[in-house]
Amino acid sequence: MLRAGLKSLASTSSRIPQAFPPRLAYQPARLQQTWRVAQRRSFHWSTPARHAGIERPEPGTGIKITFKDSKGSVIKAVEANEGDDILSVAHEYDVDLEGACEGSIACSTCHIILEEDTFDRLEEPGDDENDMLDMAFGLTDTSRLGCQVKVSADLANGSEGIVVRLPSATRNMFVDGKKAAH
Amino acid sequence: MKLAIVGGGASAFYVASRLLSRLPKEAGVVHVYDRLWAPHGLVRYGVAPDHPEVKNCTHKFDEVAKDPRFRFFGNVNVHDNIPQKAFSQNIPLPLSSIYTHYSHVLFATGCPLPSFHPSLPQSESCIPALNVVHWYTQHPANQGPPPLETAKHVTLIGNGNVALDVARMLLTSPDVLRKYDVPSTVIDTLERSAVQHVSIAARRGPFDAAFTTKEIRELIKLPNASMKPIPEDWLVPAPGAKIDRAKGRIIDLLRKGSEQRYGSTAKTWSLDFFRSPVSFEGGKLTLAHTTAISPSTRVVPTGETSTVDTDLVVTSIGFKGDPTSPFYDPELGHMRTQAGRVQGAMENVYGSGWAAMGPKGVIVATMMDAYAVAETILGDREKSLTPLKSLGGDGTVDLGSVPGELVGNTGVLDYDDWKKIDAAEISRGELVGKERERLTWGEVQALLGRH
Ligand SMILES: Cc1cc2nc3c(=O)[nH]c(=O)nc-3n(C[C@H](O)[C@H](O)[C@H](O)COP(=O)(O)OP(=O)(O)OC[C@H]3O[C@@H](n4cnc5c(N)ncnc54)[C@H](O)[C@@H]3O)c2cc1C
Ligand code: FES
Repeated sequence: MLRAGLKSLASTSSRIPQAFPPRLAYQPARLQQTWRVAQRRSFHWSTPARHAGIERPEPGTGIKITFKDSKGSVIKAVEANEGDDILSVAHEYDVDLEGACEGSIACSTCHIILEEDTFDRLEEPGDDENDMLDMAFGLTDTSRLGCQVKVSADLANGSEGIVVRLPSATRNMFVDGKKAAH
Repeated sequence: MKLAIVGGGASAFYVASRLLSRLPKEAGVVHVYDRLWAPHGLVRYGVAPDHPEVKNCTHKFDEVAKDPRFRFFGNVNVHDNIPQKAFSQNIPLPLSSIYTHYSHVLFATGCPLPSFHPSLPQSESCIPALNVVHWYTQHPANQGPPPLETAKHVTLIGNGNVALDVARMLLTSPDVLRKYDVPSTVIDTLERSAVQHVSIAARRGPFDAAFTTKEIRELIKLPNASMKPIPEDWLVPAPGAKIDRAKGRIIDLLRKGSEQRYGSTAKTWSLDFFRSPVSFEGGKLTLAHTTAISPSTRVVPTGETSTVDTDLVVTSIGFKGDPTSPFYDPELGHMRTQAGRVQGAMENVYGSGWAAMGPKGVIVATMMDAYAVAETILGDREKSLTPLKSLGGDGTVDLGSVPGELVGNTGVLDYDDWKKIDAAEISRGELVGKERERLTWGEVQALLGRH
């Protein structure tokens, strides 16, 4: 019964399958981790996270990035190298932008808002990025995922360089995301 | 502050993360209790195996757990009155012990129970989606495999992301799933699966679909399954209706249909909108036809019904809190909170995550809620060291103490234990070229030398 239904429908459809961008290669990041249980509760663990460990440029030599809160107040002005992504830059300078899926386009916690000029100069977001932006809080016309935006000199505008605004829903997130020293 | 968090899912870890980064070094501790022996709640026991990227958030949770002020107590079921075990291996801990040992308590217990459809009594061939999820994540409460060997036609009731996860698991080739965190017994069953068609029924239309863009795109892109085209007139918005960006993109996807032409694949699926179940008996599912033109319109039965032959009905119509849990509000199906404070409770009692928001929202929503609740807790901090219930004494809690029931109890698993299990699962998986191979409770006991 079902089969017959399928056939009749199939014959009336002439749609050509659409090409979609290839799926992100699955990288079992956790396979690379080591969790060494040393003495009781004084262990160390290293995660070679994909978004860790970018290099800070020599002051005055990098591309300027100004992080702002939703109201437009400057959180921090920093410098980054060509090719670094905004999420990594934020982490490097302790600006509290989350990256729950570590740049895999699977969470939207790294949602940022760009200036129109900057946004327009970027390549359009792909389907997968747009799918995640669909779920972002406080979405705007110039929203992007911070993990997908790569720093480049031609994105900078005037003295503030690339202006990156954190959306209002994350307004309460505090700026210096590092843990208290212990 | 000495905070006990009941429940160790994403919400607990995000709250702990924010609190510990804000609190001065000596100003407090956070103890997380979970009745599961593994931490991370639905991130481990809910998120679909083919979404490994979503589980990357556990790296942050691991960082939180490294803080010396953080402790995890796994396999401990916190109960209100009657000593309860969720699982036979559980150590029951009365809430009263929490109250005397802690100055603050946060309930982040999620919504662990499935909602049932009043017209669909449970049976071997009518099960909640949570059973399927528990099966493929090997949750300690899992009731074994669903009867897939004999199910050619499966109907899902509800079209949220959980329903789509289940559909994807049933429609994806086991060869694709094999490399992920799917227990080998699950792969075995999937290899014997007879499923040919998955129907996803919902009482509202495409403009009120509960799934998100990513999830529907994943189904649409499946290489071995194809979707029944949706009638074009269902994809036209009501005059004057406001269609947001996400809805618009979903409708575009539905209009284009699946990458594979319907019927050209061994497996097929359909989104059966405007269908509400009436009864399921002897393999016959009767559905009432409904109309609901725009989001503001109520669902109205048209009076028509249709009956489909289906071998397995899987209901995916939401979750709720445990009615025996403290401060449960039957009206909401979970506890009622105001800015994170539990209504009807004493001071310094909080709720977060799905336990407080209800069973809605992906990780980003859970995270933002958690941060907001953490801010509330931080604001209430002055009353820090008074126990929630005093037993006399000097009227302050001892930051180092744990409830007596747990002292020296080898049934309690800490975070180091979890990391040993985690490492063992990953290396077992590595041997066979997959993300991980999960351990059973028996294997956990053997690994940790606890019997
Ligand atoms: C099937 C499914 C798939 C999902 N997939 C995704 C996805 O792909 N991407 C995404 O972003 N989001 C996904 N989500 C949503 C995401 O899982 C939630 O946003 C998030 O997990 C909620 O966190 P929580 O901490 O509030 O609850 P939970 O994760 O449910 O944690 C609650 C914890 O409390 C424990 N607990 C309950 N009662 C007690 C008690 N009495 N004593 C001790 N412990 C107790 C439970 O064992 C559990 O570990 C999914 C949800 C489900 C149900
Ligand atoms: S970090 Fe998850 S989408 Fe960017």
